[in-house]
Amino acid sequence: MIDLSLNEVETLSTKAARGAGFSWGLAEDIGRAARRIAAENDNWGEAMLSLAENAQSFAAPDPARAARWRKGETDMPAETPLCPIRTAALLLDDPLPASALPLTIINVGLPVWLDAMLRRSAMRVAQPVGPVTRADVVVEHRAEIEQPATGRRGATNERTLAALNSFAGKTYVPESERSRVRGAGGGRVDDE
Amino acid sequence: MTAIALRPPEVVMRLKRLGAAHPTRLSFLRQLIRRATREKWRVRKDRFDLDDNGFGRAVYAVETPARTYSLVAFSTPLDDEKRSDRVIAQAWDTSYVLYDGLPDAAEVARLEANAPLQEAGRYTRSELVLARANKSVRLFEDVVAVLAQGRQPDEEQLLGVGYLLRTTAVYGNGKFGIADRDEIAARPELAGSFQAEMLTVWLIRSFTLDLVDHIACRRNPAGAASLAPELRRALGVGNATGLGMAPFLVRHPLLTHSWFLARETALARVRAEPHAGAAERDIFSKALADLRQRVARWHSDDDRQAAATRSLAADLDALAENLDRLLAKAPPWDAVYRFAEDKFSLEGQEACVSLILEPHGALVDELGDTMKADETPGHAIDGSVTCGSLRQALLDSYSWAGKVDFAEPSANARFWYVSAEKLEPRLGERFEEDGAELEQPLATARDALSLAAALAQEPASASVADFLLRRPEWRHAVRRAQIVAKFPYAEIHDNLIGADLRPVDILRAKLAFFGARSFDPRSDRWLRIALFSGEPLIEDVATMAPAGEAA
Repeated sequence: MIDLSLNEVETLSTKAARGAGFSWGLAEDIGRAARRIAAENDNWGEAMLSLAENAQSFAAPDPARAARWRKGETDMPAETPLCPIRTAALLLDDPLPASALPLTIINVGLPVWLDAMLRRSAMRVAQPVGPVTRADVVVEHRAEIEQPATGRRGATNERTLAALNSFAGKTYVPESERSRVRGAGGGRVDDE
Repeated sequence: MTAIALRPPEVVMRLKRLGAAHPTRLSFLRQLIRRATREKWRVRKDRFDLDDNGFGRAVYAVETPARTYSLVAFSTPLDDEKRSDRVIAQAWDTSYVLYDGLPDAAEVARLEANAPLQEAGRYTRSELVLARANKSVRLFEDVVAVLAQGRQPDEEQLLGVGYLLRTTAVYGNGKFGIADRDEIAARPELAGSFQAEMLTVWLIRSFTLDLVDHIACRRNPAGAASLAPELRRALGVGNATGLGMAPFLVRHPLLTHSWFLARETALARVRAEPHAGAAERDIFSKALADLRQRVARWHSDDDRQAAATRSLAADLDALAENLDRLLAKAPPWDAVYRFAEDKFSLEGQEACVSLILEPHGALVDELGDTMKADETPGHAIDGSVTCGSLRQALLDSYSWAGKVDFAEPSANARFWYVSAEKLEPRLGERFEEDGAELEQPLATARDALSLAAALAQEPASASVADFLLRRPEWRHAVRRAQIVAKFPYAEIHDNLIGADLRPVDILRAKLAFFGARSFDPRSDRWLRIALFSGEPLIEDVATMAPAGEAA
């Protein structure tokens, strides 16, 4: 196992999320959520890798479905699992009225991410969701917003780390000789 | 008392003014020195195990009221052709960690196997900062040779460079496995911005001074001189800073706002003071004389900086000539600032800001405590606002960007990216190099205007949450727009991807907040500076009067 700082967890997860196809703004959210998973001593590395590998197989909530949630109407199942990140982003950006909670959302992909994304909001996932690939999830009101844990680290194994670095690598630009010289200001040896 | 308005962001946050920034008494190294002096921190050499050539290891332990921290230093042989300021270097003359506590022999051995490797090593939560420094080759050897002959080095030659070693990276906040900032943020002595990094550099300074004395003494045990105390105090630590630091101010908008707001609040407070007392006048005059002396020694081969430094010298002459007349006006410090604003170069104006803050510690020093930020609140997006109101907020906050025509290639000439080779930020030429599709989200003005255009296509009453559900690619720009609307100093008011961008302007602003001096641009994207030159030595603060730092 390799012991990462939480800042490394966040930075790597943000890059890996971007490399997996999430927008920059969502990637920032994912980095912070990964940090929370790591701080809770959960397996952030496996969770992050599952998210990156499955990013393209989830669907965002469609506006009509989101409108049903807001009105407190029963959720309608869809064939493709909901993206936990897009779903959480919607719930965070415009929190549901108290009258709409608790809300059962059907077929959420990797619900651990919905849980992590909501962890510093006034909502939470009602039951521990664990590392399942998809589940129906109950979102309920949370009375007290948790403060982030400190003094924690994010351990993960080398294989997972390498896979995440591979996703992160999709955000990097290979150097050319021109960029190597020009990009940072010039190659040189100190002579003074 | 007359209320004085803060200088607005459209004045303060322009790149040209950022590129003329000067350190002030609110700068981070000054905050550290004040605390260490007040609390009488004690430093002792726990270990100084260096051979005749100065190679080996040393541990400097600092005792603060609550905790002990240690600089663990390693000095190793380095071929001249491997000595490089660039972040892509792979070996250095010296390497360091700031250790949380006092390391035992096993810990020193662990660090010795890693710190000289820098990024290629691996670190733990016991290490708070990782750094390295190279010798200023010519000067280092000259100083050793002269000391070994029992003489003191030539003061002008010594202070013309200003340092014996130059750091080329000082890493904090969890990099390469070291402790997260969260772990030290609640400790009063390290809670402020970059206090752990400044403590590291302050200790490195003492190590470099002890290193030349040690080598000279080993060369000539019977006759070598030690570096004179006044020269020790005059020397600082050099630093070479490149592009990697430039995105920091953009990526940390709340923190950036807190730094500039504190400085501007301090300036407004001092300008509003109704009287200039004798003590304040005296401190101001000393600070002015000190700055004029530093400016006379401020050398840069960069034509722009050389011209700016000449203008600054003339501005300071004019300030000295007119000082008594200006301070006779009411309010006196406002008269001084207005004179500078009216007559001086940007370099002179910003130097004047620094000078008029200097005598007013009692009025402004507490603002230092506000120069930090929990950036979590800025992360939340208020999706309940309408697209129409967000668009209006954007047009208000980014009115300055309306002058930039991004259809012009020159306005869109650059892109920021992360290099696969070194994982560091770089600046590419959009129309000449590959990789623009992997652009980092640092094109603040272009993205703000593009977001405003995208919002114009939406019904004005539609919610931003619904907009982002359909258009997640705008999420980073919406987040930033909402921060900038609330925190006016959060954004640099210039195009960060234009052909005329000089990243050194961004670097200088950040380094001035650290407390850097002697800015020496080596290109448009990296520069050298000095830290702690002329400031107290850390080993002296335990016996200094608390006010000694300001004099």
